[in-house]
Amino acid sequence: MQSLIIKATEDTPEIIFDPENEIFSISNVSLPENAIEFYAPVLSWLKKYRDNPLPETVFNFNIEYLNTASSKQVFELIFLIDKINEVSDVTVFWHYDSIDEDMQALGIRFTHLVKVKFELVPYEKELLDEDDEDY
Amino acid sequence: MIQRIEKRPHKLAYDLFKRVDNGDFEYIYRGVFTQTLTRKILGLAESNLQKFVDKSSLQNRIYFIMVEGLQNVTRHQDEVFDQTNDNSGIFAIQKLEDKYLITTGNLIVNSKVDSLKEKLDEVNSLDRDELKKLHKDILSTGELSDKGGAGLGLIEMARRSGNKLLFDFEYVDLYWSYFYLQTEIPSRSENDFEIKNASLTDTMRDIKYLNSLLSKRDILLSFNGNFNQNNILSLLSIIKGQMSLNKAAKKVYYIMVEMLQNISKHGKNLGSPEEGASGIFFLGQNEEEFILTAGNYIENHDVEGFRNRLDAVNELDAGDLNEYFNKILLDQNVIDPKKTGLGFIDMRLKCNGKLEFDFRRINDEYSFYTIQSTVKI
Repeated sequence: MQSLIIKATEDTPEIIFDPENEIFSISNVSLPENAIEFYAPVLSWLKKYRDNPLPETVFNFNIEYLNTASSKQVFELIFLIDKINEVSDVTVFWHYDSIDEDMQALGIRFTHLVKVKFELVPYEKELLDEDDEDY
Repeated sequence: MIQRIEKRPHKLAYDLFKRVDNGDFEYIYRGVFTQTLTRKILGLAESNLQKFVDKSSLQNRIYFIMVEGLQNVTRHQDEVFDQTNDNSGIFAIQKLEDKYLITTGNLIVNSKVDSLKEKLDEVNSLDRDELKKLHKDILSTGELSDKGGAGLGLIEMARRSGNKLLFDFEYVDLYWSYFYLQTEIPSRSENDFEIKNASLTDTMRDIKYLNSLLSKRDILLSFNGNFNQNNILSLLSIIKGQMSLNKAAKKVYYIMVEMLQNISKHGKNLGSPEEGASGIFFLGQNEEEFILTAGNYIENHDVEGFRNRLDAVNELDAGDLNEYFNKILLDQNVIDPKKTGLGFIDMRLKCNGKLEFDFRRINDEYSFYTIQSTVKI
């Protein structure tokens, strides 16, 4: 199956669904005005993947900021991933900045709504962003 | 009770919003200025200018004057930094019908007021050719002030704006004065480069009034104009760069995203809908909390729907809010979650207490809608 690669923009995440290299990741920020439009091709790719998945699939979500319109769409992804779990052995890693209570809460919320193995992975962010040289 | 009335945002939001005519904008930042912040402010101003200014020469002039102004504030606030709590500088760019106004304000020590005033008076006394000559002379003699300026920045600001520099010193206390510098750049004709007479103009009085108003309300940032995804992202990057990354700042960021995108999605523009979504957003901060306020016009027939959703969301406790949130996530029939109030639910979960809101009827068609939420520091 052909991979799905979407480059990150200022307000949409990077998406790499690459079965050949066994990489399935969503990272960066997700703040598009039109989340439905952005996630539509991602959802349809996953639907196809479900027909012929790898025996094992590991999804990494590493989203720094998410607007509410995106959280609905990201849940749609996770809902589909839950279905893929019926035909592939799926694990989801939900990475979040350890100080970000809301991203943690959203991860916890998702674990309650789906059956797939869903692990929360907090990370420590460097105190300084690289471009904030004058702090 | 008094405090509650004080906190109510709709009066201030509408009063500020009304200041700016359709198609114009006003962007104000108050606080400490850093180089990173300066870059981001310039980015925001640039993305707004691109929409309005078709002549790149005018854009360059405005940009140059902004850079000079911001650098002045950054340079001078260093002297102030450790000595007083109130070291807020101000930067404002306003687009009025036929001109741009760029205003900076910062504290300076009283002992420097006279020499600065002298420099400004000198610059203002010269015509175009004289300014050009003075600029050349200073460059060739290499006579620089201890701040690296020699008034070169001022000379260039005057030259590029084609106007007198407007300024004012406001006595603060025994040590400090507040120095306002305003440059007016006509947007009409490039040849219309006549130097006008300087006086304490209405526009200067206006910005001084505005600064004291925003200062009383602890407002750090105010954007008033058309909202689109471009300037929303610029505003967000300013906040991200300016606030240390802590829990409260993260929440402020999330709520800002929702508020700003709501304006861009729902904000109506009276008279000229093709201008896009106009509205106002401002962020305040006191010792206890951040206060976020957004305002925009909506159509009267939408008021009831908004009010019902907000009332409903305000009545729920945390458990109910979470349950409702899940219900919307699971509901396959929900295509556009904005219409379900998911944004409001999310805001309620992230902020402290209830969402304050107000609808003010403007005419038969439109109302001005204000929403406010707070985040504990």
